[in-house]
Amino acid sequence: MKRLIAALFLAGAGVPALAATDPRTVPSQLPAAWQAKTRELFKQVIETPSVEGRGQTQKVAKLLADQFRAAGIPESDIHIMPYDALPGDHTAALIVRWRSPKATKKPMLVLGHMDVVEAKREDWKFDPFVFREEGGYFLGRGTSDMKNGDVATTMAAIKLMSEGFKPSRDIIFFYSGDEETRGVGATLGSTKWRDLTEAEFGLNADGGCMSFDEKFRNLGCAVSTAEKTFQTYFFTTHNPGGHSSRPRPDNAIYDLSDALEKLRAHRFAPMLNPVSRAYFEQRAKQEGDNKLGRDIRAWLADPNNGAAADAVEADPLEVGHTRTRCVATMLSGGHADNALPQSATATVNCRIMPGVDPKDVQAELQAMAGPKVEVKPDPNYLGVSTPASPLRPDVFAAVTKAIRSLYGNSTDIYPIMSTGASDGSFFRAKGIPVYDVDSSWGISPIDERAHGLDERVPVNAMYNDVVYWTMIYKQLAG
Amino acid sequence: MRYLLATAAAAAFASSAAAAAPPQLTAAQRTATHAMFEHVVNTPTVIGRHKVPEMAEYLAGQFKAGGFPAADVHVVPYHTGSQTTGDDETAALIVRWRAPGTSSAKPILLMGHMDVVEAKREDSTTDPFVLTEQDGYYYGRGTIDMKDGITAITQAMINLRAAGFQPKRDIVVLFTGDEETNGIGAKKGATEWLDQLGHPEFGLNADGGGGGFNPDKSPAGFSMQTAEKTFAGYTLTVRNRGGHSSKPRKDNAIYSLAHALDKIEAYRFAPTLSETTRAYFAGREKLEKGPLGDAMRRWLANPNDGEAADFIEASESEVGLTRTRCVPTRLFAGHADNALPQLATAMINCRIFPGVDPNAIKTELEKIVADPTVVVTRNEDNVASLASPLRPDVTAAYTNAIHALHPGMPVFPEMSTGASDARPFRVAGVPVYGVNGAWVQVPADFRAHGKDERIPVQSLYDNVVHWQLMLRDLAGK
Repeated sequence: MKRLIAALFLAGAGVPALAATDPRTVPSQLPAAWQAKTRELFKQVIETPSVEGRGQTQKVAKLLADQFRAAGIPESDIHIMPYDALPGDHTAALIVRWRSPKATKKPMLVLGHMDVVEAKREDWKFDPFVFREEGGYFLGRGTSDMKNGDVATTMAAIKLMSEGFKPSRDIIFFYSGDEETRGVGATLGSTKWRDLTEAEFGLNADGGCMSFDEKFRNLGCAVSTAEKTFQTYFFTTHNPGGHSSRPRPDNAIYDLSDALEKLRAHRFAPMLNPVSRAYFEQRAKQEGDNKLGRDIRAWLADPNNGAAADAVEADPLEVGHTRTRCVATMLSGGHADNALPQSATATVNCRIMPGVDPKDVQAELQAMAGPKVEVKPDPNYLGVSTPASPLRPDVFAAVTKAIRSLYGNSTDIYPIMSTGASDGSFFRAKGIPVYDVDSSWGISPIDERAHGLDERVPVNAMYNDVVYWTMIYKQLAG
Repeated sequence: MRYLLATAAAAAFASSAAAAAPPQLTAAQRTATHAMFEHVVNTPTVIGRHKVPEMAEYLAGQFKAGGFPAADVHVVPYHTGSQTTGDDETAALIVRWRAPGTSSAKPILLMGHMDVVEAKREDSTTDPFVLTEQDGYYYGRGTIDMKDGITAITQAMINLRAAGFQPKRDIVVLFTGDEETNGIGAKKGATEWLDQLGHPEFGLNADGGGGGFNPDKSPAGFSMQTAEKTFAGYTLTVRNRGGHSSKPRKDNAIYSLAHALDKIEAYRFAPTLSETTRAYFAGREKLEKGPLGDAMRRWLANPNDGEAADFIEASESEVGLTRTRCVPTRLFAGHADNALPQLATAMINCRIFPGVDPNAIKTELEKIVADPTVVVTRNEDNVASLASPLRPDVTAAYTNAIHALHPGMPVFPEMSTGASDARPFRVAGVPVYGVNGAWVQVPADFRAHGKDERIPVQSLYDNVVHWQLMLRDLAGK
């Protein structure tokens, strides 16, 4: 579930107007021999269709495990963990420990997922599971979400091992096999398999932090350090129904409509946490003295200034950043055109602020909707409340140094709260802070094709990501 | 589309029937009736399930086994469908019971429909397509709308034939297969099949009429349906650009639709009196001594007394009789739980006062909603329905049959709030009378189209006797 790239700051006064060099034409700093190795592994994993239900994810795990084994990681530190996700989906996680000979710090976790969203041959211009290089891009399902991250984090480690680098802390690689569907792998990884994954913090390679706009302006690196919790609720009304020629005073559709009118007007209380505070400080700088900039500063100065928070939330760039949001996304009701409805259901999708219990949101929605409406969470996906990860100076320093060495010293690095959800949420919920720091990028919005058609990643974004991760390992485990 | 009357009522028609012990079916006839009823209720003749032809074949077999010549028993397959209902291959059953020799009188048409409204297992206490007998009731989809009438007409004809009865004029049966959805069978019946039906003089529809008892067992009256409201479906449609649900837009198709529905909920159409409803309420007020009767008297004295009409309309027994009513029946919106809806629609079902143009109601709905982003369209092209003139012979036969089974029961004319197959025949000049003989307890058994539809066990058997009496009276003289 690649998060949405926050490539929004085109109007930002603080964005420097860089010379318009197409970033796709800048040669990668990765040596040619390692480009070839990276390309070969990338090809193999892209051509393994690790879609839910196809039973191919274990093959990806084996491909990655072989790389670590060949580089000298002992068999006892390589674990392929089979498990079942959705019914009938036999998948696996890969857990690899790169031991420090003399650890001075607690282990560091590197997170990724090996599964991809379904892709149909007839929907694509080309076979999504045949690796292609074309026009400065690698193409195929998973090239941006996120087999690129799997390959970059693995290749960077292999490269450092070959150079004789010894980490000062254990680095644990955890690649799950059902992030796109159920998150069972991340659930097990953060609980039952914790003896293999215990770490001081985690770095998630799911979703690149960087992007360029179509004029090739560098839009900076937004590091997600928190995620809203995804939770769908069903609003259901019941009625005895009857013949539509004899309308009853009560009606399941009217009862539901009344609740939806309330939902439309309902606003959750605005909340600031350390992540959103740092994010809005950056945004205030970018916006300068325009109305949005002033509203943000007023809210930051007084977190109880609800009117200022409402004004920020109302801006199209900031929707969802100031509070929990719930929205009606689907409706169904009735069973025949000429019968009074016996039931009606609205699907209400919520994105809950980190640290807030979905049960509390349910209670707030139930109180709002009233006793005629039953509010229940979707039993197929029960969201787990996730605390925001504290802004670690060591992580931000390492990311800043590595990103700027690759993309220039004027590149902005700032935290963001993702409105989507990923494996990171499961580890955050169990006490391991997680930061989404992968360096890959695309041209926004034309390369935003995760889950979509003709997915792709620029070739040099892929190769540079290997360089980037070697710098991150050296910085944080050197 | 069954309307069940809902009233304690005045005796509008006098009866000539002498008091006698109510006639009954024999034990063998009850057994046969039960078996047929169970078979047809257990056949889920919902649109899209392709089961109507099977039910038509079964009934055709029953007629033939009962001695009707195969040449006069026809299963007529036809296609039904529309954008809102989906498509199905359905069928009609046409049976002709020929009078010996030549008759100068045109045939009597007996009408019913074999299809039923959808019923979901999870919305029902028992499986709606397994006939269940419990506490003196038969439960199941179609038990009162209207497989009771189908069974009663069929059994009555078989029983009469077995008893040696010979009609003095032809009796023609038309059972349609899509009354609850598109009414194509009735339209064909009133046009391209009219020759085969022998251009009937009038129709007797089992999907109308009927009666009831109050909870204290006192008679609530039987009605004869002579007029019906016009059935018209409308769709409210809202479109939106949509987007990712983590970033809600200010405008949302579902919220716009909900707002429109709330306005429809609050709206009341203007009350109207017609000749039929004036006669009905004139009869009703005589036995209503309380506030409901006072409101009827005030409204009859002053048709502009909207407050009185509103009071009557709010009474559970009179819903839909004072004006056009519209109600939302279905909702559809969205395509994924994590995406903002691009499309939201609601089906609005209207029952329009006879004589009012359904296009005028579309305009009125647009005014009520008062939002140009909510688009109102019609689902079909029904024209305004007409009333049938009262015939003394039909009125007498119905009243006599009712009184033979329920001495002293009030009987009166009625405008049905529902629509039925009768409409195209009335438009084509064949008057139709809703004269079914089933009875229920009011209002607890008003469950047509709803949850746990049911009919009292004895009512099913009484209805067979009722149709035997009616046919002897109208075709035996």
